[in-house]
Amino acid sequence: MRSPYEILGVAATASAADIQKAYRKLAKKLHPDLNPGDKAAEEKFKEVTAAYDLLGDADKRKRFDAGEIDASGAERPQHRYYRDFANADQAHPYADASGYADYMDSDDAFAELLRRSEQARANRRGRDLHYSLTVDFADSITGASKRLTLPDGGTLDVTIPPGLVDGQILRLRGKGAPGAGKGGPGDALIEVEVRPDPRFTREGDDISLELPISLSEAVLGGKVRVPTPTGDVTMTVPKGSNTGTTMRLRGKGAPHVGGGHGDEFVRLKVVLPKGPDPELEAFVEKWDRKAFNPREDGAS
Amino acid sequence: MNKQQFLSSAGLELRTLEFWIEQQWLLPDRVSDEDTFSETDVARAHLIHDLKGDFGVNDEGIDVILHLVDQLHGLRRAFELLQKDMQRSSPRQGT
Repeated sequence: MRSPYEILGVAATASAADIQKAYRKLAKKLHPDLNPGDKAAEEKFKEVTAAYDLLGDADKRKRFDAGEIDASGAERPQHRYYRDFANADQAHPYADASGYADYMDSDDAFAELLRRSEQARANRRGRDLHYSLTVDFADSITGASKRLTLPDGGTLDVTIPPGLVDGQILRLRGKGAPGAGKGGPGDALIEVEVRPDPRFTREGDDISLELPISLSEAVLGGKVRVPTPTGDVTMTVPKGSNTGTTMRLRGKGAPHVGGGHGDEFVRLKVVLPKGPDPELEAFVEKWDRKAFNPREDGAS
Repeated sequence: MNKQQFLSSAGLELRTLEFWIEQQWLLPDRVSDEDTFSETDVARAHLIHDLKGDFGVNDEGIDVILHLVDQLHGLRRAFELLQKDMQRSSPRQGT
């Protein structure tokens, strides 16, 4: 076994400064991370650092010179070198293509190969950030612009596309966490909850609504105002309408994927005035109630 | 691993780590304002530590060395890909 003096290439009488100089000169040449392709460098480097750990410490050196300790057991605790990670297959933020960027500009297969490798490794995107947002039912049908306040105090303008469904996730490219190194930022993923509107129900791209009408509107017909996601419209209730009569407002639903819109179905519901109405009672008394029996055709 | 675990794995002081991150020698992942570190970061911290402590490299020197080391690994990777690609496209050549 070579003595630590031999390993460092210094005389036994060398000064502490000379020992350090000799060690640095060798270690710089042998450090595994500065010799990523040289498997033997690691062993040589370990030998040199072990020798320096002994001789670079005045007290240990004195005890070694006096024969109290030997050169064994002075090895440093093991650690994995950076080269083991830098060459691994998975992307890491330190990968750098600038050493061959000029070769990537050409059209040949080699350049294509390099471009692919750079995409896979050099650019680590930032993380996607997840947010949630609640929108009104009407906005989910017609679309809207919303401003989301972020936990860090910033804001994000979110465009709600027309016809959005509850639980849909919107992706805002580049609005996530910043990337490391040369990687671009991640995306913001916004899960949108649609706040239900007690008036409307959505089925696919159609929406439906129950519209209360008065007895006289049902019997005589008339114009009524109907809420839609884009605001109220006027609809004509035909004479003799009944509870359950359904009218269609074309194009008032959510947009279809391929173009066009769904419809709004308005289901009429005849509602009598609240509380006793002596006038109505007197009128119905006069009216021949036996003339019409809605249960006659088997309906209960 | 979080910052505390990283400091003990890499044997660093918090102030040193902050300086290294500021210099962009280390690029931790930032998840909702918290830095997270990988084994790659630990190994890289050991390299920086060796360069500064044992080899007496100053801060400017670290910048240059890390940049060249990163390029060297990029080149090694490109070389490896090229080698694999050549083996795939002509597996029997020379036999």
